[in-house]
Amino acid sequence: MRLELGNIYVKDVQFGAKTEFKDGIVYVNKEELIKELQDERLSKIDVDIVRPGDSVRICPVKDVLEPRVKVSGNGQVFPGFFGNAEVVGSGRTHVLKGMTVLTVGKIVGFQEGIIDMTGPGADYTPFSKTINLVILADKVEGLKQHEHEAAVRMAGLKATRYIAEVARNVEPDEIKVYETKPLAQQLNEYPELPKVAYVYMLQSQGLMHDTYLYGVDAKQILPTFIYPTEVMDGAIISGNCVSSCDKNTTFHHMNNPIIYDLYERHGKDYNFVGVICTNENVTLLDKERSSNFTAKLVEFLGVDGVIISEEGFGNPDADLIMNCRKISALGVKTVCVTDEYAGRDGASQSLADSHPSADAVVSGGNANEVITLPKLDRVIGYIDAVNVIAGGFDGSLAEDGSITVEIQAITGATNELGYNKMGALGF
Amino acid sequence: MIKELEDVADVPAVHICTVVPISKTVGANRIVPAIAIPHPLGDPKMSPEEEKALRRQIVEKALKALTTDVEEQTVF
Repeated sequence: MRLELGNIYVKDVQFGAKTEFKDGIVYVNKEELIKELQDERLSKIDVDIVRPGDSVRICPVKDVLEPRVKVSGNGQVFPGFFGNAEVVGSGRTHVLKGMTVLTVGKIVGFQEGIIDMTGPGADYTPFSKTINLVILADKVEGLKQHEHEAAVRMAGLKATRYIAEVARNVEPDEIKVYETKPLAQQLNEYPELPKVAYVYMLQSQGLMHDTYLYGVDAKQILPTFIYPTEVMDGAIISGNCVSSCDKNTTFHHMNNPIIYDLYERHGKDYNFVGVICTNENVTLLDKERSSNFTAKLVEFLGVDGVIISEEGFGNPDADLIMNCRKISALGVKTVCVTDEYAGRDGASQSLADSHPSADAVVSGGNANEVITLPKLDRVIGYIDAVNVIAGGFDGSLAEDGSITVEIQAITGATNELGYNKMGALGF
Repeated sequence: MIKELEDVADVPAVHICTVVPISKTVGANRIVPAIAIPHPLGDPKMSPEEEKALRRQIVEKALKALTTDVEEQTVF
């Protein structure tokens, strides 16, 4: 499967009379976009644009997405939600780089995130460096939380599809090619190089802790094998309302650095044969079954090493360790990518579970570290949520408008795909 | 908590826990498996009567575990 990604660098996003791409600028007809997002579950929809350096705090952030459109090849971006669940990942896809679609909504309140576009908080989130088209959506009276989540999730997908359409006929600034061949061919292509696969753990502790693979709630899958390029076309999307520092937004999935970096050295240092998707369910039997199947697929592929990434923390640590332990027992080398909840002083046990086989671990940082974020000029969303947000506490919001929170409240702060700048060193 | 109760307060304790491997990692001595992380002592798919029976069964097992001498980490 071969995918060309045509990157189009966006200089600015502005409201305009017509939704179009011109001279590096994405123009958005606000009324038309709002009309596109009409949903009987949502009472009021508004759209805003924020840019790096703006004195703006966005809270509570639900999801972040990247506009991509399929120019050729099978299917549509976000398969299972749009189109007929055709298999994506081949042909050509155009990407609007440097901008996002970002959804805001007070869904669970304590499990959405904060994005500051300037100040000390901005350093902790990658989305302070992008131009964000913010979709605010209020629910109708009486709508249940999970219905609200579904409505805002769809609004994000629809807004992203609507914006991405402007990229269809634009000549990209650069074209990158990613290719993984059918397994037997791929294994034979670089027989001298170590064979590597990626074990992609998807948050599935639901309700509202859900990830979708081709529209299927990941808690209902048995671990399965996909081409890496499928992920680039939005095969995996987030339906998560969990601690925002280490949930993978849809943007993170589409830009998963483990996949892109594995491709960088594919054919040079190793042979990247593909991706195994698995889940993080809430019963012990499910955890055992999924890790058994994941290890079985690793054996089936016959690889020499795997990278395993976790999503979330707490009981998913048990899934991570089961995957690591069972795959290591096959004689396959493992690297785990996770983050830490080591207490505010960093002195506590970092993960809820451990095993001697987890001897190569990459950390995205300690989510319990405390930060004070000064008042910013403008708030988009509902700032009172910070008193109950995960990583916040009663009194987080001070009278002067500053907030004191653990960095787990900041979207993407300790991302477990490595899409950030923090890490941890062993001494 | 479970370790502090036994080590510091010298009170025997049972850990009712869904993810038994974590319970073992943290060093619980008496472990009783629970149903699921969002509902350790219940099951929303059951009727209230069935759920009560299930809960009683787990609690009784935990009480039995509490009064059983153990030499090593034991899952009941």
